[in-house]
Amino acid sequence: MYASPELFALEMRHLFGRTWVYVGHESEIPQPNDFVMRTMGRRPVILARKDDGSLSVLLNRCPHRGALMCRTPRGNARRFTCGYHAWTFENDGRCVGVPLRHAYGEAFQRSDQDMHAAAKVEAYRGFIFASMNAAVPPLIEHLAGARSSWTNGWTATAPAPCWCRTATCSSRPMRTGRRCTTMRAMATTRPSPTPRCCACSPSATATMWTCGITRRISTKSPILSKDLGNGHTLLDQRPAMHAVSAWRRQHVSPGREAAEEALTARYGAEETLRMLDASTGSGLNLNIFPNLLIIGNQIQMLEPVTVNRTIVRWFSTTLEGAPPEVNATRMRLQEDFPSFGEVDDTAQFESCQHGLEDVPEMEWVDIRRHMETGVGYPDTDGLWREPISSDLHLRCYYAAWRQVMEA
Amino acid sequence: MSEHTRTLVPPTDGYFDLAHYEALLGTVQEWRSLGEIPQDRLPPPEAYAAICRLLYLEARLLDAERLPEWLALFTDDCVYWLPTDVAGRDPRVTVAWEMNDRRRLEERVERLGTGRAFSQAPPTRTTHLYTNIEALTAGDHVVHVLCQFLIQTNLAGRVSQRSGWNGYVLRRAGAAWRIVVKRINLFDADLPQDNNSFTL
Repeated sequence: MYASPELFALEMRHLFGRTWVYVGHESEIPQPNDFVMRTMGRRPVILARKDDGSLSVLLNRCPHRGALMCRTPRGNARRFTCGYHAWTFENDGRCVGVPLRHAYGEAFQRSDQDMHAAAKVEAYRGFIFASMNAAVPPLIEHLAGARSSWTNGWTATAPAPCWCRTATCSSRPMRTGRRCTTMRAMATTRPSPTPRCCACSPSATATMWTCGITRRISTKSPILSKDLGNGHTLLDQRPAMHAVSAWRRQHVSPGREAAEEALTARYGAEETLRMLDASTGSGLNLNIFPNLLIIGNQIQMLEPVTVNRTIVRWFSTTLEGAPPEVNATRMRLQEDFPSFGEVDDTAQFESCQHGLEDVPEMEWVDIRRHMETGVGYPDTDGLWREPISSDLHLRCYYAAWRQVMEA
Repeated sequence: MSEHTRTLVPPTDGYFDLAHYEALLGTVQEWRSLGEIPQDRLPPPEAYAAICRLLYLEARLLDAERLPEWLALFTDDCVYWLPTDVAGRDPRVTVAWEMNDRRRLEERVERLGTGRAFSQAPPTRTTHLYTNIEALTAGDHVVHVLCQFLIQTNLAGRVSQRSGWNGYVLRRAGAAWRIVVKRINLFDADLPQDNNSFTL
């Protein structure tokens, strides 16, 4: 599963063709006619805001000869003109220009030549999803138990109306199996790296390996892992991280003292601590099947490239209207784990990929942790929870994977 | 000379305040819009030679993995900065690949030395080439230096290159020049990056 280009191709077609796929955040395209280039699996798409403010997701492939219509990562345009033969389309996909039209014959209708659009486009709290499959359930139904985490966790750290907006985007390619990327969500407990494991398939099982550090994560830890349904999971670190003050237990970062001092002078100690606590992160790893990870104050979007290469597009978030010290602090804190932990995780995923691709005698990996220990139970909201050290999130992901792939 | 270049603040625990960001941003904007260096900002030949020696020493220490000695070339109010964009965005609202003050830079070096930084085990071998070295004075005892770099790397048998330009702010303390700012401008900083957790 990790090594098969054939299975990867099927996954690109079906996994990213049959369910909801995250394509971007509304704040990336705030103005009418703004657009960004994205992918759905390997399909190049254009996510655009139309003139009337509504959203469109178009296959970035000219209906004429297949060339990329749009080659600019982001911009503002009401129309796209193909660079090859100058066929022109509105950003809702309508074909509005075909040079030498008479040469295509009497029966040729321009209205038959529209760009192919995603069957469904819906947004939830600013997060835009699209599906190639017209038969998907409504997005809100698909998100299932993830909705309450969004409401109570992610947005709660950004008091309305100062909602999070995506600020900048950095990209990290990884030479890893695509499934490994689901594990990245495991990796944000501070101060030391948490257990990192390697994912699996229904037909293979998974390897879970420890590196000594894992022993520090007790089953009795208050932080937890939760099954949100449809492959979505939550790693909730709030019980530990925000128990007292996340800012006080936060690792030092550039400008820490200067920001606290400046804010305290203007807002007082209590309000300052509230703002800085929120700057450290939501305390949530919200994993939305199959390609969105909301980690602390970051948004990560997974872009599969080949069977052993994934681009993780990493969006930091700022708070609109927040004091500049707060946003500067958020930036420096959002660099902390990526600089000091995530790079190591990535190295581990790459090394897993090496082992998985190059040792044909060993087919299986292991994701059984806490599968049979009986420590799971339904939480007060009815959702199944297990200790943070569980491989629950992997099992949930692959259960959904199997369901979509076999549909 | 822009006002910003004068205002890089002296070392204190809290030197990374908004004014410091403002000064950094102003410095970067000046670098990005720099044309021909005015005659009156060209450092004297002996200063230029000393600056080149510092850069070559820096490269040599990096390539020899003598990081504590490399760290000693930086001032107490230093910045080691690897931006994620090529547009000179404001670091107050933009994440960087690395934005290190002295404290974070020391942590990085210490961590790389523990052997537990798995992304650098084994460490990335590098050979740094610095060229096109241009210098301009920016007040008493302060010189800005722009140079192109090419870093050939080998990580566990995998060869790759990094390239772009470095912007330095150097300050003279007594006889020695020291690094106040090192901004590593990868020419493809806004595109997917491979493992850059070694010291560039």
